[in-house]
Parts: sequence; structure tokens; C-alpha cells
Amino acid sequence: MMHLIRLELKKGGFTSYLWGSLLAYAIIACFIMVLYFTGNNLGAEGFQNYEDALNAINTFVLATFIIYASVLLSKLIINEFKDKTIHLLFAYPINRKKLILAKLSIVFFWTFVNVVLANLLIDVLFITINQIFGYVSGTLTITLLVHHAIYVLLQAFGAAGMSLLSLVLGLRKKSAAFTVATSIFIVMIVCSSNGNFNLASIIAVPLSLAVLGILITYLSFRNIDRVDVD
Amino acid sequence: MTNVIRTRLLSKSYGTEEVVSSVNMIVQRGEIYGFLGPNGAGKSTLMKMLLGLVKPTGGEIELFGERLLIHSTEHLKRIGHLIETPVFYETLTAKQNLELHGEYMGYYNTQRVEEALELVQLSNIDNKPVKQFSLGMRQRLGIARAISTRPELLLLDEPVNGLDPEGIQVMRNLFRRLRDEWGLSLLISSHLLSEIEQVADTIGVINGGQLIRQVSMEDVRASMTDYVEIVTSNIALAAFVLEEKLGVKNFKQISDRAIRVYDLRISQDTLSKELVLGDVPIESINRHHHSLEEYFFDMIKGGSDHDASY
Repeated sequence: MMHLIRLELKKGGFTSYLWGSLLAYAIIACFIMVLYFTGNNLGAEGFQNYEDALNAINTFVLATFIIYASVLLSKLIINEFKDKTIHLLFAYPINRKKLILAKLSIVFFWTFVNVVLANLLIDVLFITINQIFGYVSGTLTITLLVHHAIYVLLQAFGAAGMSLLSLVLGLRKKSAAFTVATSIFIVMIVCSSNGNFNLASIIAVPLSLAVLGILITYLSFRNIDRVDVD
Repeated sequence: MTNVIRTRLLSKSYGTEEVVSSVNMIVQRGEIYGFLGPNGAGKSTLMKMLLGLVKPTGGEIELFGERLLIHSTEHLKRIGHLIETPVFYETLTAKQNLELHGEYMGYYNTQRVEEALELVQLSNIDNKPVKQFSLGMRQRLGIARAISTRPELLLLDEPVNGLDPEGIQVMRNLFRRLRDEWGLSLLISSHLLSEIEQVADTIGVINGGQLIRQVSMEDVRASMTDYVEIVTSNIALAAFVLEEKLGVKNFKQISDRAIRVYDLRISQDTLSKELVLGDVPIESINRHHHSLEEYFFDMIKGGSDHDASY
């Protein structure tokens, strides 16, 4: 399995994924800073407290990496079907389910790790900067941090699972654009805020969507050994 | 076990349309099997079934003496293939593509990669990504990839598509070399007889999804012998003249009015002159030449007539 994952990374250019992620971190960080300095500084609606700020960061991170995952899924799976390189892949002496599983695990773990890491880095950045400028008042308790850490881990799992939903729909059309569009749609429903509320903040929503994503992905690849590749 | 491929009543339908229909095909170890048929005859579908890419709806496949099951993958280690237009990972170089292929096949050997590229005479490719390759180069690279893992069986679908005459010659020589030196069995499909007649040991003709005939080229050539046909009202006299005056032994009476002379050392002029001198009443005297094209065209046409009569 590790061998297959390694080959996938070799094929897809692992470094380009890495740069993409770093760029995404930077953009989210900039965005948060803009909100912080314009909103909180000018007394307009900014972050009310630490919890508010950390949740906002998490929402941006989720939105970004759910869409990022759909780009990876397009590259790793949809394009193999579209470019017909799947003909090669499925004529190798390797079980088809293993090949697909290798691809899915890359996307799943990539999304999970990135959501956790992006939250961690940007939270640290935010807290450090707020220590200097102090626009957001309130104290940062250990309880809050622990709660938030657990929350982020669950959200990361949610995002990784949810991102699979776009694959199943994109695969029907064999279209990368459709896959990405679906993920944007999911993000719009789950992550868009109405006041201080968004669906993702009810942890049961992303978690059940994740389970749904994993389930229908399993169902759509369950018979992959028996299908014609044309 | 001398059969590399054996199919029994192999069929594939899409809905009500049957694209491969009850095919019994036998490819023997160490032979080049030319798989001939017009476009859309079912050649690619059949080859995809051998690779497991398309699942049969009827019949069975035996490869290397073992029956193929739905989950079989082990046999794929022993097969090299090029089906339809060759596909590659476009941003990788030729060498990277071949190395990746080797890793997936479980046969990793850089020396073989070099050797394969040399055999198909693909040069000046250095670090170019495959997306910059011409059609001919892609075709060569596809063949190189197929042989880079030293398979026992090679499935090549229209392998000389997009190659110039020189390239075609190179490939022909390569196919013979692979058979003679590596002991490979090759299944090569084509819609053009001229592309395979020179290399094939056996030819299988497919049309409308049916394998119309499987013949060895040796038999084809033997059955295509040219002859001169003499139509006369006096067969006995004609036979006498042929045998006694001209010393011809190789002739055959095919009806009570026609004789075929297979001994073509005697020119048609001499024949008619001697027959006239011997007072043989000649109605017609014609030389028959049967080209391979005609032979197979008749077969395909015959096959479809046969179809139509059902």
C-alpha cells in the first residue's frame, strides 16, 4: 500500500501539492489579518473574543481544504479516467480496489493533516499578534484551547470525509470542473456564515456528511473489479 | 501447454448489441498472430477482454493455460500491451513513464528501460515531457513500454498507426526479433492486411464481432497458388497434349470443361500454341492470380453474406 501511495505521489508531483498548501496557508493568514486589523481596529464588527476568532480561522481553513481536496481528487482520480490512463492502471497486476484506496487515502490524509496544521499555525500566528496589539480582549484559557483542539480534529475528519462527496458526483461526469464546482457548493452550504452561525459549527453536520461521503465512495467503488473500463 | 491464448465462445454485448460474438481463438506460444478486421469489428474489445479491462458477457478466456477469473491479476505480469492510442502521464519524460510502469508491474530494471527505448529506436528524447511527442514517437514509446518488462505475451492494437514507412519496417523487424530471440508470442491487430501479412504466422479474420477464420499464413500461401485455366470441349485431348507434348504433370481437371495448370514454368503463349497445334478446341485460356487482399476480402465478404443469411 505504501508503495502504491509513493508511486502516486511520484506521478502527480508531490512538491506541487506542498506549494499549493503553503500558498493556501499564507492566503488564509493574510485574510484573517485583514479582518483583524480592519474589523477589530476600526471598531467595526471584528472578532468578539478568542473563541470567535479561532472558529473563524477554522471555517476558512475548512472551506479552503475541502475545495483543495476536490482539486486533488480530480487530479488523482477523475483525470485518470478522463485521460484514459486508467486503462494502464487497471491492467497492472494490482487489485483495483487497492489502487483506488491508495489515491483516496492520499486525499483523505492530506486534507486531515492540512486542516489540523493550518489551524495550528494560523491560530499561533493570531494569538501571537493579538498578544502584541490586543484588539481581541478576553483570556485564553487552557480549557478553551483543549476544546478547540478536539473540535478542530473532529472538523478535520469531517472535511476529509465530506470532500469525498464531490468525487462521487464528479466521477459520474468524468469532469474535474464539475468535481471542484460540487465542492464549492458543499462549502457554500456548510461553511457560509449567517451572523455567527454556520452549519459546520454544529459538529454533527460535518461528521454525518463525512460518514455519508465515505459510505457512498465505498459503494461506488465496491464493484470496481467488475466494471468495464472504456 | 502450447497455447498462450485460448478463448471459448467468448462474447461481449452492450445492451442488445453484441460486439464480440462466440469467438474461439487460439494463439500459440512463440507465434505472431495477425488479428485482421475492419474498424469496429471488435478487435479492441477482444483485446481489452484479454487484459480484463472489459468483462466478457459470455464464454471464457484461458491465458497461459489458466482460466481467467474476474479477480485474476497475476497473469498481467506476463503481458505487455498497447491498446488503441497509447496513453502516458504527459508531464513525465519517456524514461519516467517507463520506470513508473516497471514499478507498477513489479519489474523494475533500468537497463531494460534503456534497452526497450533502443529497440524501438526512440532517440533524442532526453528530458522532454511526453506531451511534446509526435504521434509516431508516442507509438514507439508505447511499444517500448510494452516490452520493457520482458513479457511473454504482447498485445498490440494497431501498433504501426502513425508510423512512417521506415518506422513500420523497424517495427516489423522488431516483432520478428521479439518472437525469434525472446520467444515472445504476439497478438497484433490491424485493419490493413499489408501491415501484418509479412510478419504474421497465423491470421485470424474478425468481422462483425465474429472470428470468421483462423488460418496459418503457410496454408494461405499454398491455397493461393496461381494457375492457368483452360476451358475446352475436349478435355481428354487437352490433357494428352499437356502431358505428352509439354511434359506438364501438375494440372487438374476441375470440371468436364475446365483444366487448371499449376506448372507456371511454361508460358501461356507456349501453352496455347501447343494446344492449337494439337487441335484442341479452346474456348478460353486465362491466367488466374489471387492476391492476399482478395483472399481476405472474399473471406470477410463471405462472412458477412453468411451473417445476412441468418
